[in-house]
Amino acid sequence: MSYSTFNPSAHDATLEPMFFGRSVNVARYDKQKYPIFEKLIEKQLSFFWRPEEVDLSTDRKDFMNMPEHEQHIFLSNLKYQTLLDSVQGRSPNVAFLPIVSLPELETWFETWAFSETIHSRSYTHIIRNIITEPSEVFDQIVTNEEIVKRAAAVTRLYDELIELTSVFSVHGAGQHVIAGKTYDVSMRNLKKKLYLTMVSVNVLEAIRFYVSFACSFAFAERAIMEGNAKIIKLIARDEALHLTGTQHILNILASGADDPDFKEIALECKDEAIAIFAEAAQQEKEWSSYLFRDGSMIGLNAKILSDYVEYITNVRMRALGFEDMFPAAQNPLPWMNAWLSSDNVQVAPQESEISSYLVGQIDNQVDDSDFDDFDL
Amino acid sequence: MAIPRIKVNHFHTFYYQYESTLLDALEVQEIPAPYNCRGGYCGCCKVRLIDGEVEYVRETLLDMDEGEILTCCCVPKTHIEIEISES
Repeated sequence: MSYSTFNPSAHDATLEPMFFGRSVNVARYDKQKYPIFEKLIEKQLSFFWRPEEVDLSTDRKDFMNMPEHEQHIFLSNLKYQTLLDSVQGRSPNVAFLPIVSLPELETWFETWAFSETIHSRSYTHIIRNIITEPSEVFDQIVTNEEIVKRAAAVTRLYDELIELTSVFSVHGAGQHVIAGKTYDVSMRNLKKKLYLTMVSVNVLEAIRFYVSFACSFAFAERAIMEGNAKIIKLIARDEALHLTGTQHILNILASGADDPDFKEIALECKDEAIAIFAEAAQQEKEWSSYLFRDGSMIGLNAKILSDYVEYITNVRMRALGFEDMFPAAQNPLPWMNAWLSSDNVQVAPQESEISSYLVGQIDNQVDDSDFDDFDL
Repeated sequence: MAIPRIKVNHFHTFYYQYESTLLDALEVQEIPAPYNCRGGYCGCCKVRLIDGEVEYVRETLLDMDEGEILTCCCVPKTHIEIEISES
């Protein structure tokens, strides 16, 4: 089944499954099978921001005054986030667009991936502002063993899915031997690979980012690197939305309501899905040790960060209906909540960028009764 | 209409002071209610509504099971009883 950029059939997209149905033709949003994706798109668009809105001149001074082991923590996290967003800025498009069948879901992937490119741009903005020679940081991303190790885990399923769907697109379903390699391109295997890829993406958005977030916010709790934290707060707000998106996709798939095959696949792949969570949690804990290898920072050390990884892993697994992987515990970093919240900071607009300022939210439906509360 | 009374498992019962959301009301009472985004999309503030009714003041982006509410998006409409999970 080769991909068509405009499928001329007159089918009703709302009757298609989310994936592996007929390819999308008209990008229409007047009727939707799953209005949630339309809501996510609108929310994401209302969140639009640019890194240049945030001033980082104080961060440069803060960075220069930091002890070396803290600079290591700061830069390592930035490198890792740069890697994650490099992957996320392209992969949802490359992997999911050829197989998606609903216009609202197709656009959600594009909107989602686009927002990740803003994140990538903000890492350049941050690094350019605090370091004289940005190449020193960027060039090390692909040579840092700790990062490369995790990159492999992050991209493996994406790459496998893309490979399978490419073969599927050219040769159709079936067993194919290409250049001596056998590909199982049965619909079942494709769907299985898609389900596991989506779990892996969920883990990326849900757990992997949060270790770096914690460090950025911990610096800002000490009133240093506050510009950076402001940017990371905006990124965290977007990531929470993306996370909601993948959780919805996974829960819809597992319910079987969209495509009965996926209900069986979700059950069949349960152990593999849990293993993806376990691998990520383990890698993030190892990363915590790597970050703090030369010394801790005030308010955060490898142990607390590892506890946070366990806590957040449990929260994310529960959202998908899995059992807790680690012993239940209170949030070891309660102050994180304030940073992850989108509108709790009241500031004067001339003094700060307000992340709760939503673009495109004007309501023209004004009724006489709307003024009932006003007294002169 | 009577002022809504809010009963919370493991914590005290109090009267709603017309805070803008149920989450704000819990925080004023210093009840450690879970939250993250405060925007109806992360799902962290989900609690069980045992009794009573709430009114949504903000759109949510999550599907909720029967009896689940997002405290950051609603206010009590009647006397309510809620259950916050332990961890």
